[in-house]
Amino acid sequence: MSDLRSQITELIESEPVTLFMKGTPSFAACGNSQRALAALRAAGAPVTAVDILPDPRFRQELSALSGWPTIPQVFVKGELVGGADIVEELAESGELERKLTDALGPDYRDAHDVRVVELSPA
Amino acid sequence: MTESEQDRDSAASLSGYDAAMATEPLQALLQQAFPDATELSVLDRTGGGDHFQVNVTSERFEGLSLIDQHKLVYDALATPLADGTIHELRIKTKGQPSE
Repeated sequence: MSDLRSQITELIESEPVTLFMKGTPSFAACGNSQRALAALRAAGAPVTAVDILPDPRFRQELSALSGWPTIPQVFVKGELVGGADIVEELAESGELERKLTDALGPDYRDAHDVRVVELSPA
Repeated sequence: MTESEQDRDSAASLSGYDAAMATEPLQALLQQAFPDATELSVLDRTGGGDHFQVNVTSERFEGLSLIDQHKLVYDALATPLADGTIHELRIKTKGQPSE
């Protein structure tokens, strides 16, 4: 197992909500990443954002791990929830908030605001 | 044919040709993967031939999570996704036709 792979695994499993995106929350480099972030924010999710652009291996390892080919990817408590379309759809139906409450408890909104974590190339 | 008629004809066939060039191969791949689909459309969102909206309604999605539904679409489009033909993909899947 590569060092990078274990970094990603650890993040996904330890963070309540992990968003792998192109760019950063303050400067998303892709419309879909922006859409996923906006949907998560609207649901009050404690987002931990990871930029996959600095190294192509970030994305390769992530997709190898998740079996999901595109970016963004959203995980709640280690479980892949989906990309921008799914997160948006779940947010609109109210199911995203239910999912977050189920996984993180009713006070999930208080956990923390959006924060950024960087992967370090192995 | 007058000159203006010729212009109109070539302009029409040009714009029609472009859109079909981009979406038809994807449409064919999806048709193959979802032969029973009651709705199947591929839209070139930007006209640039690499940002697509895909809508599929098929009984195969019945009872599957959204993740698994979208994965079936990704599987069907694995080649154009891998070779960069598709730069951005938006997916909308349904198990049953909406009323």
